[in-house]
Amino acid sequence: MNPSSPDHHLCSDHCGENPTVWDLPHVPLGLKREWLDLETRRHFLGQGVKALGWAGLATLLGRSAPNLLANAPIPGAPAMLPHYAPKAKRAIYLFMAGSPSQIETWDYKPTLADLFDKDLPESVRGGQTLTGMTASQTRFPIAPSLYKFARQGKAGRFVSELFPYTAKVSDELCVIKSLHTDAINHEPAILQLTTGNMFPGKPSIGSWLSYGLGAMNAELPTFVVMTSKMPHRTNVQALSNRLWSSGFLSPEHAAVALRSGSDPVLYLNNPKGIASDVRRAMIDGVNDLNRQLFERVGDPEINARISQYEMAFRMQTSVPELTDFSNEPQSTWDLYGPKAKEPGTFAYNCLMARRLAERGVRFTQIFLRSWDQHSRLPTNIKLMAEDSDQPTYALVTDLKRRGLLDDTVVIWGGEFGRTVYSQGALTPDNYGRDHHPRCFSMWMAGGGVKPGISYGETDDFSYNIVKNPMHIRDLHATILHLFGLDHNKLSFKFQGLDQKLTGVLPSKVINDLLA
Amino acid sequence: MTSWLSRAFSVARFVRSGKAALFSVARFVRSGTAASSARRPSLLSRAGLLGVASLVIAVSSSRAEDTFFAQRVAPIFEEKCVACHGEKKQKGKLRLDSFAQLMRGGEGGGVVKAGAPKASELFIRVTMDPTDEEFMPADSKPPLTPDEVKVLEVWIAAGASETALLSSIKGAPALAAPQGPTVALAPDWHPRALQIAQLEKTLGLRLVPRSHVPTDGLVLRTASSPGRCDDAALAQLASVADLIVEAELARTQITDAGLTAIAAFANLRALDLTRTAVTSAGVGKLVVLKKLESINLTSTAVDDAGVAPLRSVASLKNVWTFDTKVSPPGPR
Ligand code: HEC
Repeated sequence: MNPSSPDHHLCSDHCGENPTVWDLPHVPLGLKREWLDLETRRHFLGQGVKALGWAGLATLLGRSAPNLLANAPIPGAPAMLPHYAPKAKRAIYLFMAGSPSQIETWDYKPTLADLFDKDLPESVRGGQTLTGMTASQTRFPIAPSLYKFARQGKAGRFVSELFPYTAKVSDELCVIKSLHTDAINHEPAILQLTTGNMFPGKPSIGSWLSYGLGAMNAELPTFVVMTSKMPHRTNVQALSNRLWSSGFLSPEHAAVALRSGSDPVLYLNNPKGIASDVRRAMIDGVNDLNRQLFERVGDPEINARISQYEMAFRMQTSVPELTDFSNEPQSTWDLYGPKAKEPGTFAYNCLMARRLAERGVRFTQIFLRSWDQHSRLPTNIKLMAEDSDQPTYALVTDLKRRGLLDDTVVIWGGEFGRTVYSQGALTPDNYGRDHHPRCFSMWMAGGGVKPGISYGETDDFSYNIVKNPMHIRDLHATILHLFGLDHNKLSFKFQGLDQKLTGVLPSKVINDLLA
Repeated sequence: MTSWLSRAFSVARFVRSGKAALFSVARFVRSGTAASSARRPSLLSRAGLLGVASLVIAVSSSRAEDTFFAQRVAPIFEEKCVACHGEKKQKGKLRLDSFAQLMRGGEGGGVVKAGAPKASELFIRVTMDPTDEEFMPADSKPPLTPDEVKVLEVWIAAGASETALLSSIKGAPALAAPQGPTVALAPDWHPRALQIAQLEKTLGLRLVPRSHVPTDGLVLRTASSPGRCDDAALAQLASVADLIVEAELARTQITDAGLTAIAAFANLRALDLTRTAVTSAGVGKLVVLKKLESINLTSTAVDDAGVAPLRSVASLKNVWTFDTKVSPPGPR
């Protein structure tokens, strides 16, 4: 295959340049013969060199027999199609890192108001292990939300006054109040949400989607990540590319991080004084060397390297067009607010996410940090909400009016919940909240998710789940389902295991969330 | 052939040093596991089976494997029983990993009585009260689904044969198509695979199957190079027109003239014309699309007069007209 052709597919898994089936140990001889036979037929049909390659192998093993011949000749077709027709083609995940308190945001608990400064009953806490930050507290005084809630939209959902804009799209949202996670500290909890596992090294959701479905637009990465400027900084967690790495999947499934400023993708521009044709010649040279190396050692990662060079070259044209907001009409700025003009803000990133969605990028993840309000929660959560509420509303609204929300799922949430009791001193206008993995809230909108509903319930203290618990694994299974993927079938053999985003513990698609 | 051999050697050498070979195997196996959906025996036997089957396909159209037992019954045992009744363990001295073993029976003798499901120990065990300690699968393992029970029932009732063809035994629930709609949205695209590949190549656009289900149709996808898709390109899609269920044409070069070609996409359900040069004059051509459910006209020159004819398309649920002259709200 010609890697410089515009149809060159992102995934090296099926570009036919990898070692052939013949090279593999542990493959029954009969199967190898059969592969060879088909390959020979392909030559006969004049379809090109090693045309079957990995796509053919995937076909051989992954499809039912009648499809075999028919599927093989499609160059660049994804090796794995959705298991069933998808509802969502893309996702935009607004990751509220640090974890906004569910009590001030989506899990309305009116009865707490009467319990101000009362001790949380020991029976509710149930001897739970606490973090080092509150374990030494002698009291666990209940802190009701300082922010009020009012019914919004046709569905009459209670929405916090922190979100006057998001309240306007309340009917589009499916709010889940019964998520729970295994981790009580940020790093493992964020990893569990982004990769399904508390330990680093696993592929993130976007990488699984890229691996499972391939690209819609070969000129742009399939998976893009952006971090946002923070309106204030307290307890800011470090983010790093282990949250958006491809783990054991081929490196081209990792996210490309879009940065703010004049160089949205690092090292993408030609060095000063190097013309495009010189650059092209250099890339051709490097790729040639890589191909020779590949001929000798057969490591598929070499091909991943080649395709990364090609992707970078293509992005030299596609990224400037993407990041040029000059053709956005005034209505865009009215919707997203003035901050959307300032690169790197959450508002700017939300607008960028819409532009990425329009261009067929499958998975965009925007991180907004500094929701970790152990102290001064009322002040700081307001700063965060003010920074993000309008752009969040704008994104949902913009996708909807442009007809993109039907097949784009928007996901909003942090990595765990926060405690109903105050961390540190509780006063009528100040308190903090510690980490709480037993329950937290998120919302999803569009992309085949049922709009206007709430799922799951917690007790009166938003401490324990009393109805429809939903583990992170269930969230992941459900997201994959929206994309037409069965979480039990989307797997990759690594270290002797069929690795899956949802791992080996029980996980299920939550059908109640599906439109 | 020599190149195959030398490759095999170089990889074999590499096995010892590790990574590339491991990777290759991983990649190889995962393509298989990704598909273990079809509930067949183990990966390798399955691969072998496919291998044989597909070779046969290549030559003629009949397959020895098309028996009801192999296609419908064995997969159920494989998934839910063989862990305890197979090569490794033989609980109750029963094995269910082949037809012969099944017929040999277990501790208590035969477990299948041809023609009489209700008198067959095996059937009794999977249909009794699940709290009974004799209920199978034992140890609260996932029980058979009602469909699976039905499959066993019709198979035993029809004589519990190893060789009866799939088509000869009636009354079995359809194999759960992977959750997708069972309605065919378009003809099976496979017979036209070569044409599709050729069109993709010459026109620089993609015709992507919507899912594994061959009758879910194709997506006409242009996102990689919308600039290459114009009226002339669309006109060349006539031979696959009925396969296209979704047409993603945002930002392409198409004009009203191209809508003539689109009007021939008889199975089209979703059409995205965002930011194209189509006008009110052309949109009327689309009223012949009797299955159209959504049309996106965002940022086009279309106005009220243009969308009015679309009201006659009964299937239409969404018309998006943001950034056009259509007066809000757009017709629904
Ligand atoms: C977790 C292990 C386990 C699984 C899974 C399991 N079985 Fe069993 N099975 C047993 C044990 C233990 C016995 C022996 C005790 C008994 O007869 O109840 C047994 C006995 C039987 C017997 C009686 C054999 C005889 O002749 O006494 C039948 C029939 C049977 N199983 C059918 C099935 C079927 C059909 C399935 C799958 C749907 C299944 N079993 C799955 C553990 C299992």
